[in-house]
Amino acid sequence: MNTKYVIATVFIIAVIAVTAFIYVYYSGQTDSQLEALLNLVDDTKYKTSLDAIPSRIVSMAPSTTEIVFALGLDDKVVAVSNYCDYPYDFSAWIEAGDIASIGDFTDPNMEVIASLDPDLILATGGVQAPTIDTLRDLGYKVLVLNPADINGVMQNIELVGNATGKTAEAAALIDGITNRIDAVVDKVANAESMPTVYYEVWYDPTSLWTAGSKAWQNELIEKAGGVNIFADQDLEYFQSSAEAVVERNPDIMLLPAQGMGFGEPFWGSLDDVKARPGWNTVSAIQNDGLVEVDSNTIARAGPRVADIIEDLAKAFHPELF
Amino acid sequence: MGADSTENAYFRRASRWKFIVILLIVALIVTMIISLNVGYAHISFADILKILGKQVPILNGYVDSTLAALSPDELRTFQANAGIILQMRLPRIIAGVVVGAGLAASGVVYQGVFRNPMADSYVLGVSAGAACGASISILFGTGFTVFGLRVVQVAAFIGALFAMFLVYNISRVGSRVPVLTLLLCGIAVNFFLYSIVALLEVIAGDELHAIVFWLIGGFSNPLWSDIWAVFPFIMIGIAISYFYARSLNLLAMGEETAQHLGLNVERVKQILLVLASLVTAAAVSLSGLVGFVGLMVPHVTRLIVGPDHRILFPASAIFGSIFLVICDALARVVATPFASTLELPVGIITMLFGAPFFILLFRKKKESYAL
Repeated sequence: MNTKYVIATVFIIAVIAVTAFIYVYYSGQTDSQLEALLNLVDDTKYKTSLDAIPSRIVSMAPSTTEIVFALGLDDKVVAVSNYCDYPYDFSAWIEAGDIASIGDFTDPNMEVIASLDPDLILATGGVQAPTIDTLRDLGYKVLVLNPADINGVMQNIELVGNATGKTAEAAALIDGITNRIDAVVDKVANAESMPTVYYEVWYDPTSLWTAGSKAWQNELIEKAGGVNIFADQDLEYFQSSAEAVVERNPDIMLLPAQGMGFGEPFWGSLDDVKARPGWNTVSAIQNDGLVEVDSNTIARAGPRVADIIEDLAKAFHPELF
Repeated sequence: MGADSTENAYFRRASRWKFIVILLIVALIVTMIISLNVGYAHISFADILKILGKQVPILNGYVDSTLAALSPDELRTFQANAGIILQMRLPRIIAGVVVGAGLAASGVVYQGVFRNPMADSYVLGVSAGAACGASISILFGTGFTVFGLRVVQVAAFIGALFAMFLVYNISRVGSRVPVLTLLLCGIAVNFFLYSIVALLEVIAGDELHAIVFWLIGGFSNPLWSDIWAVFPFIMIGIAISYFYARSLNLLAMGEETAQHLGLNVERVKQILLVLASLVTAAAVSLSGLVGFVGLMVPHVTRLIVGPDHRILFPASAIFGSIFLVICDALARVVATPFASTLELPVGIITMLFGAPFFILLFRKKKESYAL
């Protein structure tokens, strides 16, 4: 046989093999990845199995959007919610027609979602629960991410990683976040005292709302080396008496700075806070303990959890950083 | 002889009315003092007296001399308690008095003018107008103040007056304003404005909770300036309305009869509706939508003192104050037995405790009941 043919054949086989490898690699259809697509259990304990790695993902909540983009799934996301604003300015994308919007976060537009023909939908619990039931009845694959704590967020990242063929990326992301949080926890363990912290959800003349032990922020405050003054309240978010805040006398007041660059935060200016009737004896007001926090970062159970814990720790223990 | 006995009966009744009003005022003061004692923070009655005494020029020196004996820690607690009593509880109680009196008094006026037991202080679209004004201001204009007042308060007030104006003008037929058209237009405008509120809620995004909290109603953290802003409207409104108590009695016999007895029905109706709406608007601009006070308090008072507006009107206003101050005290402490700092919106309490109380009174009375 002519050696030319042998070389050509080997070459052709090699090309086919490489192409096949590249194809398999990029379509993500390795055995372990395919296996990971089966029996995905989400926060509603619902079991979902996918046939192939999804290429048309709809993300219905800001926290789920942060996770898919943190995993580098940028080009697979076809729609986000109107509340999504990180890591990109999605409202501008939506206006430019680069990405679709599911309509209102609290009441997603089912027809828009159906018209996008998604092969994976990521949603959160609470107000979206009825929509999720409908979507599942219609046969869509929905994963509900509704974590109660930091551990839950890590499980969510792993779940999304499994569902999208990004298991390695998910593991790396989880490692990174966990290491950063552990570093903070180690550092604040050296602190001489733990400041008492009041997290303000809402304050106006009609009512005051704060976070109890079941709220997401409670764990963030603990990890950052603080003590939530309402940690004894076995509740999530609740309307509290203002008297209780004054009596419990927090060293730090966390004030969410209403993101969005849209109007003033609900608490007005720091001077307004200092001028609140009857609050003048509070330690945080007397000793410069008013801390503004980004309302979205502290409210979202997503991959930026390490960022906010670092920020809080710096505010609670400036001497250690 | 006939004239004499009528006159005697009138004087006996009038002296009984004076007695009732004095009794109610005493009850109100007692309620206020007791509710000053009620709250999450445990502050002894002696401390409350000291805190109040410190505000009185003559007692001031005595209180200071007792404070000198305190340790720095105790002094801090005393100062925190003084803040709680004077800046937190007292404004709430005064707000309760003002709003309760306003809602109840305007409830009496609306029920009297409309001769309808279902009429309450929100019947002319005032609540929806206030809600709409407040929602718009929360969405588009937070952060600035008008004459030192919060824009939400001003917007709610304007919204309420606007709704009343709208209803009144739609239902006017020539120079007359038939009560039936007023009621129906009120309902229609209510629905219309609430649909706008619902629309605003949908597009509100981040500001949604601000709207929802306002709609729930309450006055947990009022500023003294918020209270002083509405105080003159409510007090003057109530005072002027009181002079129309006789006219309300005449109206109760029917508009035609009242007209024949020499009452300028249309004019009196106009004046009373504007006054009552002004009072309601001022009240809800301070407290948000607190339900049931304007409907229930006049009925309960009527069961006790009878339907004569000369006593019904002042008694309802004072009873409204007492009722709302008690409800707010309950809102502050219902959860404390469970070691909780939870506080309920006062609107929930007014309905939760008000409705059964109302039903109980009706069951006891059992006689036929008329306006």
